Amino acid sequence: MNTLQEKYADRIETTLAKYPDKRSAVMALLYIAQEEYGWVSPEGIQDVAEVCDMDPTQVKSIAGFYTMYSERPKGRFWLQVCTDLPCALKGAEKFHHDLKEYLGVDEGGTSEDGMFTVEHVMCLAACDKAPLLQCNFHNYEHLDMEKMKVLLDQWRAEVNAQVNKS
Amino acid sequence: MAEQKLVTITIDGKAYQVPAGENLVDAARNHADNQIPVFCYHPKMAPVGMCRMCLVEMGTPERDPNTREIVHDEDGNVKVRWMPKLQTACTQTVSDGMYIRTTTDQVADARNNVLEFLLTSHPLDCPVCDKGGECALQDLTMAHGPGKTRMVFSEKMHLDKIVPLGDLIVLDEERCIQCARCIRFQDEIVGDDVLAFHERGRTLRIITKSDPGFDTYFSGNTTDICPVGALTTVDFRFGARPWEMTSVPSIDPWDAAGSNISLDMRLDRDFGGRAMIKRVMPRQNEWVNEIWISDKVRFGHHFTRAEERICAPLLRNNGNLNEVSWTEALDTVAGVLKAANGDIGLIVGSGASNEDLWALRQVVNGLGSERLGAWPVTHTGGELIAQVGVGKGTNLGKLGKGDVVLIVASDIEEEVPIWRLRIKQAHDRGAAVIVANARKTRMDDFASHTFRYEAGKAAHWLADLKKSAPEAAEAVKSAANLIILTGAEGLTLEGHAALMQAAANLLIETGHVGKPNNGLLSTFPGANGVGQYYLGYTPEQSVAMAAKPPKVLLVAQADMLADDPSVAAWLDKVETIISFSMLPDGITAKFAKVVLPIQSFAERDGTFTNGERRVQRFYTAQGPMGWSLPLWQIANRLGEKLGQGKAKLSAAAVMKEIAASVPAFEGMDYRALSKVEKQYPDVGGASDSYYYSGTACKNTGGLGVVIPTAADKGETVKAGEVKLPAVPKAGKGEFVIIPSTRLYNREAQFKLSTVVHPRVMVPFAEINSADAAKLGITSGDVVQISANGGSVRVRANVNGGAPEGSVVLPRHLTDEPVPMAITVGQVSKV
Repeated sequence: MNTLQEKYADRIETTLAKYPDKRSAVMALLYIAQEEYGWVSPEGIQDVAEVCDMDPTQVKSIAGFYTMYSERPKGRFWLQVCTDLPCALKGAEKFHHDLKEYLGVDEGGTSEDGMFTVEHVMCLAACDKAPLLQCNFHNYEHLDMEKMKVLLDQWRAEVNAQVNKS
Repeated sequence: MAEQKLVTITIDGKAYQVPAGENLVDAARNHADNQIPVFCYHPKMAPVGMCRMCLVEMGTPERDPNTREIVHDEDGNVKVRWMPKLQTACTQTVSDGMYIRTTTDQVADARNNVLEFLLTSHPLDCPVCDKGGECALQDLTMAHGPGKTRMVFSEKMHLDKIVPLGDLIVLDEERCIQCARCIRFQDEIVGDDVLAFHERGRTLRIITKSDPGFDTYFSGNTTDICPVGALTTVDFRFGARPWEMTSVPSIDPWDAAGSNISLDMRLDRDFGGRAMIKRVMPRQNEWVNEIWISDKVRFGHHFTRAEERICAPLLRNNGNLNEVSWTEALDTVAGVLKAANGDIGLIVGSGASNEDLWALRQVVNGLGSERLGAWPVTHTGGELIAQVGVGKGTNLGKLGKGDVVLIVASDIEEEVPIWRLRIKQAHDRGAAVIVANARKTRMDDFASHTFRYEAGKAAHWLADLKKSAPEAAEAVKSAANLIILTGAEGLTLEGHAALMQAAANLLIETGHVGKPNNGLLSTFPGANGVGQYYLGYTPEQSVAMAAKPPKVLLVAQADMLADDPSVAAWLDKVETIISFSMLPDGITAKFAKVVLPIQSFAERDGTFTNGERRVQRFYTAQGPMGWSLPLWQIANRLGEKLGQGKAKLSAAAVMKEIAASVPAFEGMDYRALSKVEKQYPDVGGASDSYYYSGTACKNTGGLGVVIPTAADKGETVKAGEVKLPAVPKAGKGEFVIIPSTRLYNREAQFKLSTVVHPRVMVPFAEINSADAAKLGITSGDVVQISANGGSVRVRANVNGGAPEGSVVLPRHLTDEPVPMAITVGQVSKV
């Protein structure tokens, strides 16, 4: 039993049940691993390989092909800002720039407290709601820095509350 | 085989008859002499159409919509409906009426553009690249590519140039052109998918994240099929340029497969300016090894020029061995032999060639002795191979649906890796592979059915197949073709004899004898285990010598003490021991009165008879080490001293004598053995094929000749009685010890190959988890295993597949020898 199997036994079971063979479940399981480790870490690859009965090389290959698996350690909140043309016209570029400056990070970098990673991405399919960002794959729309600061504080508070509890 | 259906295809305006269903690239090459350039396509693997190099124009004749008649233009030519875009030839199979154009501007443009695209990021380090001179990308760029680049150097993508994928293979990431041949080889042919692509686009790289990395026994083959210099071996990396080397045909000296190889030689500074092996490459023989060789063959050649080699005759005086001249040494040996009054024994190892076996036998027979022992004494049943061995014309590469391969008591991957590779592919083509062993082996992964029997009871299992495994019995009965492959793992010599008899009986009873792709195979150790039988040597004779030691014993190319520690007891009783040896071993160190230095397979001519009874030639390649001589020549000279006639001048003359005297070798002179015929896929030899199939070399040395079995010749073969042996039973507190074989080991010759060192396992033993729990042992603990009066210390491996109550102990990993045959002993934690 590896970490993933211990912690997410139920989810792994329901995921595997959706596919005709174990190998097919690899992508869904990689998301679980990413959730657990914050990124697709070598341990995560190993865990998934064991669950799907695959060679770790093949799992790594899949993680490498798709951009929504992160192969570098990430902050707890992975902020992806779309800066494509329609969004840029609505001020996304400036928003992206300001956000980085506010958090004191470079493109793709993680804030010092390990909380936030900022990255620009291609189209998120919500041009009409720009500027927007995706945080851990949930969309937050019609943003500006004021709203953003509120959100950031909120997320920070959530995490601190959790830490204090445990 | 049934006549293949032919279809007509038209290539560049000319019609050709080609077999239906053939791949278009192959068909154009084989029948129209039209070399369609490829990078990712390889004739031994499924096409993927990734590289786009093979683009051609393709069309079908236009038909009248009403009459379905083919439409002709004014000149009476067929009107062809060309597809609007180019098609990848490699993903097409030929069909009747197919039209292809390969010489049009559109095609030339496509080829040019694909090459320009590949070169956008390819480093131009050809002058220091190992592949330079035999590189697909170089050759095709010269033939079809742009003469000038439109790219600026700084636009190139730079990636790591030294990435070890394992201990033996190094990847240069920026040379890779992403054809995936290595990935597909590992997946399709080896069945070990430890390589894969990572990321995409310009940063796409080959990776391995497996543990251990890229360490399969076939990894070297990926460097042959790599169309560029991205994959190189640690052995040959920066070793030589391809055009400096001469290719000398040779034969794999390690196992019963008898893989055809080429020794690529160069006059080398590091070897006193003499011809030295720079690399070992596969040589095509579609019946034997196709175009693959195992890494042991590729990387195990260093012993041929090792400093440790014995370079002059040695004579023991006051307990010390001193160098003497050949004359003195041979005079001494002749004197000893004459004085023995015929009480002479001869034991020859399975690495000695047919010529050696024959010449030595002449000497011993001439002195009135018939005691010809084969070594090692693990496998027997040569007479059954001669009766019902696999039929003439057998090709493991042709087995498929409806056929059955039954593997009993063998860890085939460790014993004869090339057979494992080819049987795995037979399994993929639909053949049923049945694996029976006392423990789990790697072949289980490629088996249709697996069976377990009690340790040592392989013959019991097979002789009573209907009861012990009804499913297997049914499969065997209804098999279109049946090959039974036996090993000797966990068996005594009697056990293997019984297993061979049971296998022969089963083949005879089910009528699977005397036909191609049917019959008996066994994993005889060494390159010439089967040859030993045909020339009159048997392991039983070696065993008999232990019971009644001769006065004088000749030991040739047999490291007896490393194989079986118990022989020391009877060797002590022999008055004089004469050793013919390449390297110092237990016999030369302690027992031999005279040591005569022999040459390795690389320094001389000779023939080996492989497991499928194919007699194959190997040629002189390397300069000789010191004063060493070929074994047959030493025997001949000795014969001359003993007044048995003049020494032969060449190995060919010895073979002629064998052919005239031993019926099995009838007609096999060196000329017949060196005959070649055209093989498909058409491999090697010219630059137009490096891109097609890689750098495996063309066979110019001969395909060999197969000795027919009695069944092949139409003689009646009868089932015999299976003498089931007693099986060692473990008493209280005892364990059954099953000696096993590892491909990479510390045998005297192989341990001199420094590049493979990191891959040789730390001595270990597999222990069942239940037993381990009782003894308080966990994986990695040091345990002492004692049996037959000796003991070894090894690391425990609890995760292996050892059956309860037994320990699997690999041979030749430890310095102290371990038992050769199944036995009982004690296990304790240290």
